[in-house]
Amino acid sequence: MVQQDEDTEWDQLNRTNWKGLGLTDPIKNIEDKWLLLPAFLKVKGLVKQHIDSFNYFVDTDIKNIVKANNKVTSDVDPRFWLKYTDINVGFPDRNEENAIDKRVTPNECRLRDITYSAPIVVTIQYTRGKNIVQRNVNIGRLPIMLRSSKCVLTGRSEDQLARMIECPLDPGGYFVVKGTEKVILVQEQLSKNRIIVETDNVKGIVQASCTSSTHGGLKSKTYVATKKGKIYLRHNSIHEDVPIVIALKALGIQSDKEILLLTAGNTDAYKNIFAANLEDAAKLGVFTRQQALEYIGTRVKVNRRVMGPRRPAWEEALEALATIVLAHVPVKGLDFRAKAIFVATMTRRVLMAMEDEKMVDDRDYVGNKRLELAGQLLALLFEDLFKTYNSNLKIAIDKVLKKPSRTSEFDAFNTMRMQGDHLTSGFVRAISTGNWSLKRFKMERAGVTHVLSRLSFIAALGMMTRISSQFEKTRKVSGPRALQPSQWGVLCPSDTPEGEACGLVKNLALMTHITTDVDEEPIIRLAFMLGVEDISLTTGTEIYGPHTFVVNVNGTIIGVTRHPSRFVTQFRKLRRARRFSEFISIYINNHQRAVHIASDGGRICRPAIIVENGRPRVHLEHIRLLKQGKATFEDFLQKGLVEYLDVNEENDTYIALYESDIVPNTTHLEIEPFTLLGAVAGLIPYPHHNQSPRNTYQCAMGKQAIGAIAYNQFNRIDTLLYLSVYPQQPMVKTKTIELVGYDKLPAGQNATVAVMSYSGYDIEDALILNKARFLILFAGAVADRANLTGKLRSWIWAVSSTAQKRNSCPKIPQRNVSRYFSPLSPLYPKNLTTLAISRFDRLADAPFDENGQIAKKYDIIQADGLAGVGERVDPGDVYVNKQSPSNATDNTFTGQAVSVPYKNTPLTYKSPVAGNIDKVLISDTDNDQTLIKVLIRQTRRPELGDKFSSRHGQKGVCGLIVNQEDLPFNDQGINPDTIMNPHGFPSRMTVGKMIELLAGKAGVLTGKLQYGTAFGGSKVEDMSRILVENGFSYAGKDMLTSGITGEPLEAYVYFGPIYYQVRVYLTEHMVMDKMHARARGPRATLTRQPTEGRSREGGLRLGEMERDCLIGYGATQLLLERLMISSDKFEVNACSECGLMGYNGWCTYCKSSKKMAQLTIPYAAKLLFQELMAMNVVPRLVLDDA
Amino acid sequence: MSQQQGAPANANAGGGGPGYQTQPRMEMEYLCADCGAKNEIRARDPIRCRECGHRIFYKKRTKRMVQFEAR
Repeated sequence: MVQQDEDTEWDQLNRTNWKGLGLTDPIKNIEDKWLLLPAFLKVKGLVKQHIDSFNYFVDTDIKNIVKANNKVTSDVDPRFWLKYTDINVGFPDRNEENAIDKRVTPNECRLRDITYSAPIVVTIQYTRGKNIVQRNVNIGRLPIMLRSSKCVLTGRSEDQLARMIECPLDPGGYFVVKGTEKVILVQEQLSKNRIIVETDNVKGIVQASCTSSTHGGLKSKTYVATKKGKIYLRHNSIHEDVPIVIALKALGIQSDKEILLLTAGNTDAYKNIFAANLEDAAKLGVFTRQQALEYIGTRVKVNRRVMGPRRPAWEEALEALATIVLAHVPVKGLDFRAKAIFVATMTRRVLMAMEDEKMVDDRDYVGNKRLELAGQLLALLFEDLFKTYNSNLKIAIDKVLKKPSRTSEFDAFNTMRMQGDHLTSGFVRAISTGNWSLKRFKMERAGVTHVLSRLSFIAALGMMTRISSQFEKTRKVSGPRALQPSQWGVLCPSDTPEGEACGLVKNLALMTHITTDVDEEPIIRLAFMLGVEDISLTTGTEIYGPHTFVVNVNGTIIGVTRHPSRFVTQFRKLRRARRFSEFISIYINNHQRAVHIASDGGRICRPAIIVENGRPRVHLEHIRLLKQGKATFEDFLQKGLVEYLDVNEENDTYIALYESDIVPNTTHLEIEPFTLLGAVAGLIPYPHHNQSPRNTYQCAMGKQAIGAIAYNQFNRIDTLLYLSVYPQQPMVKTKTIELVGYDKLPAGQNATVAVMSYSGYDIEDALILNKARFLILFAGAVADRANLTGKLRSWIWAVSSTAQKRNSCPKIPQRNVSRYFSPLSPLYPKNLTTLAISRFDRLADAPFDENGQIAKKYDIIQADGLAGVGERVDPGDVYVNKQSPSNATDNTFTGQAVSVPYKNTPLTYKSPVAGNIDKVLISDTDNDQTLIKVLIRQTRRPELGDKFSSRHGQKGVCGLIVNQEDLPFNDQGINPDTIMNPHGFPSRMTVGKMIELLAGKAGVLTGKLQYGTAFGGSKVEDMSRILVENGFSYAGKDMLTSGITGEPLEAYVYFGPIYYQVRVYLTEHMVMDKMHARARGPRATLTRQPTEGRSREGGLRLGEMERDCLIGYGATQLLLERLMISSDKFEVNACSECGLMGYNGWCTYCKSSKKMAQLTIPYAAKLLFQELMAMNVVPRLVLDDA
Repeated sequence: MSQQQGAPANANAGGGGPGYQTQPRMEMEYLCADCGAKNEIRARDPIRCRECGHRIFYKKRTKRMVQFEAR
């Protein structure tokens, strides 16, 4: 490279300008531009969209919701009112009084099965008697997203996090509800409040639709569609399609001329298409606004709740048009102008699509989509719960106020405190079940939340960036599943599952950010400042004039401009000067002749470097400041060096991929091309050398690798934990690996691979493992299992079940009893101890058998009834000796406590592999239930049949484990750790894997880590040079000597390290669990045939195809034995006269025993005959040689 | 793999057998997960560390010898 520069140096000196640069200009440094990415991730992070969305909900949205529903009044006492003036969400704390330390950490919540939640405190003003009182009330608890602004982990240093037993690499963005980690996945939807034009070629329909959604309002969809060449307005609240002219007349555009101008403008083609609609209205006799309103009014669906006089039809129509149809377009007073123009625009879009069928929108275009995040879903849930809470509060207040005389002055504060935990339980229920069923908003969604997968660090990370689509999976259209060109840079092209959900479940790319709502009011004001003319002052002539562009803010038309590009440039300049939020996008749509400004939430955007006059605004100097830590990403935004582009605005830009690609009309420069991949695809070295589906396979497999999960992995007690004993960071890493922290929490090991065949146990992708290396170092994944006992309601000390005589039950704490009975209830027991004790589980120490010895299975149980820590647990051992009252459900029991019968309900170890007790945790949950968690560790080594995979979607099972001495070796005496069959390469075309080997080998030789970053990374040429310098072949091939014969192998073997991952092998997939055979055993009652399935000790079926084989072979006796004698043979008596079955040599039909014969048939056949007879079908046996 | 199940070795491996006797009413000590203080748990009381008020306890390691098969 240096030589090249010298060659061109002279030429460059002779020019005054080189690629737009002068001589004094600073030298650009492409290499370090990527440093913007870690700077971006520092402020935004991979899960920042979740956290931002939650923060927005907690800080802003929740206040708006309360403001919208801030008054509670009473029907009984008109003087009473209660007003919410403020709402605040606190920090997570312990939900208990007299706690020493109120703070609570997420890890404690995970361990104790409680919810990581913070109190919601409202400030209320209400009337108490004649006074107005202001107070703060806690109305419930909100689960808090980890690492959000309300989380205790935010802004903590690494050692502070360590003290809280939290992993600094953990991304956060999920909730801890009842001890389980729950993620609210990103949901993909069509954008709201925008016009989408579609055509149906089969039916010949063109329609423009718009889903309106306003804050706190109902969602509704309005269509402007063609029907037999005429245009109609369609809405759910109107029975019949309304001719568009009538709709427009009702909206206050009375004259036909004006209607024609607003829809068709001065274009003759559109005028011709539209003319029929005007005639249509005239034929229906609708000429004036009043007539139009009457017409619509009779067709509006009226849902009248309030009693009162029936309103005239025109009033109904007016209300429907003002509030229900296109609800997002504001109607101030009775000024319908904006809405009329909106409808007219929809109509025009339909006309345009009718004229030119290319003028339709693409549903799958990423710019037409919005991503719904946790904050929005929680906001909906909160609104629903809060409204219910208020109506409950109102009912409760009415109930008190209804009483004619009260002992004390009515204080709504007390009523409020008695309201219970409606909000708390509502949140917890929704998040833990994932069911968002909000009747109020007609929302019924299941599976919104998922348990955060902790199989590996990457699995957890991958889950946080996942996007699920709302489209049905069964539909056969390929559109939504296909790769969209517009998803470049914002959605990962590789990371999607295979099969059913392929292309519907997506993942965010590395630099993607999702916007939150920004107030549009100042933006509209700004637009007017910049010379936009108000839309209500214009007519169709101006709107569709030759040089005018319509200006839209969030889909609503606000005005027109005659200088769109000047307007847009000025707007952008103000944004780059940070006069308003950096997430507001503006772009020109030349087809629609419109300028669109968007400030709504859920848009997908990404940052890019601004290029001005053919020169990127980011200079070497800036990068130097960034390196020194003197500048952050925020500074780059502030100075207008970098800006966010959403998918729509990208259409207005010309983005250069590399600095060398910059041409005079370039507007932006890509920060780093590898950011187009997501976090999971970013782990693949040299992905740009692989066949694309291989990268997709790897994305699915990388999540299953066993490795380190988090820094706090040994302090976690999850139901399933897979850990690797010696994880290694990959020799060939990528920049993404460093950014997400995969080098700190790796999942896999660098194995020296020889690409050759060996022994025949390596066909079909099987791998040969080196016993010396793999069985010691690659030592297997630790499978940890946590077992949660039933919740122990009380703590009973060592009561040996055999030594019941010395049983002395301690008293039960009184507060536990009062939990079940109100002190005022007649059921409240006088003898507290007696009744309470009979209701709770207890723990018992190990019982003695007849010989006075402790049975083997209770061997490890200690005096407290729990297994000792460190002890070995063999299959069948008891590790929590729990006893439950046998009459737990019997409420009538009032006998003595001592005589309460208890039955053993121990937890026994069921896995076929012995384990060791790692930890026994004792704690209690929120409601004073004792909780015991036992962590049992199993250690496994790789064995035959375990699955391994490299990072290129190449998986294989272990086919043979070979002694080290039998493996080939090179001249340095190095053995391969793995032998991979070369047949894996030709059809899969994973060239990346080959380069990984080469780079890995070079790295090993120089003691350095190499890079395999996408669209970059260490070059093969450089790697080959390193190999040659170290005395190896440039091609990476070595001469090997056979370990068996001692002769040199006939070919050179591609030989070097490749990063391998062990894939999760679950306990269920172990051979031991699957082994099954039977000779004789249980039979099904109905058919008397052997049972089915391993769990029922069932037989192995000789199926139809096997039967066919035997028939074909002519093995009649074998057939007879398999299908009858060994199965369900049955002796029947049949009459050769009538052909029916009798019994004991007697035919009940013929009333004789003369022609009876005994024969053997399958019981199932006999059953069939009888069932047929029950259905009035007579099957008769014809006996041949009876 | 299957060698882990070697049945006859198990009975003695844990050091159990006739020599091991439960001492009745033996108070067990538990370690606070936060500060590591030794605590006893009684049935009447909530599970809470005397020293720091933390709500999680871990059992102490067994006094019996634990032998691993190093293979």
